[in-house]
Amino acid sequence: MGSKDMTNRVEIAAGDRPVKEINRDIRSQVQAGKPIVVTNTMSRHNLGVGLPASADILFEGSVGYYCGGLNDGARIHVTRDCGWGVGEAMATGDITIDGYAGMSVGASMRGGTIHVKGDAGPRCGVAMKGGDIIVEGTIGYLSGFMAHAGRIIALGGANDAAADSLWGGEVWVAGPIGSLGVDSKIIEPAPTEVASVEKLLAQRGLDGPGRDWQKIVSAQRLWHFESRDARAWLMI
Amino acid sequence: MCGLAGRIIKQPGLIGADLVTLMQAQAHRGSDSTGFALYGESRQNGYVVRAVSSDRSLLDHDLDALRQTLQAHDSDFIEDPTWDHTAQPHVSVRLVISDLEIQPWLAAADALARMEIQSVGRSLEIVKDLGISEEVAAKHNIVKFVGTHGIANARMATESRVSPTASHPFWARPFPDIAIVHNGQLTNYFGLKARLQRQGYTFLTENDSELIAVWLSDQLFRGLTLEEALESSVRELDGVFTYIISTPAQIGMAKDRWAIKPLTVFSNGREMVTATEEQAVRKLYTDEVRITNLDGPGYSTTWDVLPAAGG
Repeated sequence: MGSKDMTNRVEIAAGDRPVKEINRDIRSQVQAGKPIVVTNTMSRHNLGVGLPASADILFEGSVGYYCGGLNDGARIHVTRDCGWGVGEAMATGDITIDGYAGMSVGASMRGGTIHVKGDAGPRCGVAMKGGDIIVEGTIGYLSGFMAHAGRIIALGGANDAAADSLWGGEVWVAGPIGSLGVDSKIIEPAPTEVASVEKLLAQRGLDGPGRDWQKIVSAQRLWHFESRDARAWLMI
Repeated sequence: MCGLAGRIIKQPGLIGADLVTLMQAQAHRGSDSTGFALYGESRQNGYVVRAVSSDRSLLDHDLDALRQTLQAHDSDFIEDPTWDHTAQPHVSVRLVISDLEIQPWLAAADALARMEIQSVGRSLEIVKDLGISEEVAAKHNIVKFVGTHGIANARMATESRVSPTASHPFWARPFPDIAIVHNGQLTNYFGLKARLQRQGYTFLTENDSELIAVWLSDQLFRGLTLEEALESSVRELDGVFTYIISTPAQIGMAKDRWAIKPLTVFSNGREMVTATEEQAVRKLYTDEVRITNLDGPGYSTTWDVLPAAGG
């Protein structure tokens, strides 16, 4: 987890400056081996995109779209909310969002961990292909939409159409589920799987006894489309 | 993609300037055209008409023709018409006319060549033109407009041609003082449009967003509250959409059941700002206020315009 400790962090103010200039400043401080705090974030888009493994960066405030996108090993911490696509296409690394995480959290991510302390918006983990998304609150409409692999873990519950059109991967929910999405089903998790999820949560300080897990996976009917299944695709 | 904005201020002020700021921050969402629906001081009688003519060189003739349609409906200009003084072929005109029955007159005005009526209202004025916010604002002096509330749009054209008339906001013809801006595409446009045309409604464009304005106003005309009409639209309109509607008393929004097109809002009960992107809201509130993302699905809400202080 990125540390909120401000000591020794190099401050970079975002404000109205061109985002390319802000990201250039971030990269040069990363190369100098300095942990960074970005202030006056003003919900700007594309902050901290494409950060390398050694980056340790704290965004003090809310960020806009695609924060930490294409992340390749950086530790990123956002102290408030973020817009859609946080950690999009992340290869590896660690992103923590203290507030609400917007739409399409971790879209197409391949690895690493995203930890949302508030809620996540619609299509959390859309098309994800690996890694873990932990949401302490609820995951929004159409969570895990067309995900291929990886885990989404929601402690507060899931809104409607949970795990919709899942190809692979897992959506773990310890709370109420509004409704299941198309072609998904709830199965009993193996004790070893529960232990793996609980271990991951304990590493984040989220150890809690006796969670009632519902593990959602693909029902695999739509892996091979047949016209007689057409109705299963339609939510109308 | 399009960018939307809405703004209510607690007493009459520079509403145009706020909306220009919101739209300039979202200029990257659509540079084909930018438009503003602004609510100034409400007239006791008479209407403000905003219109555009496609040929500046024939403006005198076209204004005469328009005046004749007014006189044929027991109305007339009550102020001298004004218009923009640029070299562009199209010209934007502002008229103030005496009271009349809007729908029959509109039928006559719509039959005129070149002249298109963009809004009619006691307080509403729709100004829309080609280009980004800065350009449209400078040309039409938007930042000086004094009023209580308004909505705006930056358009990236997807469904119909690029022209001042096909730009947003759309007036809810023929209902005075109602306008909408829209981000998205409707898929049951033709069916709903045909039904409304059979009821006698007219459309100036092939733009699906114009349908939302007229469809909603028809619901209001049938006696639904704005809240009920917005809820109903989530079921009846098909496609992806987030739109904002403005009336003299309220601003409302609705979002489709697929929850795709974003909208964010900050409201403290006295003033309200809503925009497609949160970063635009922060241009007006720079101190990290709590902004809500209306991420849906199938969501609608309204905000009230406060009566002017002492009014």
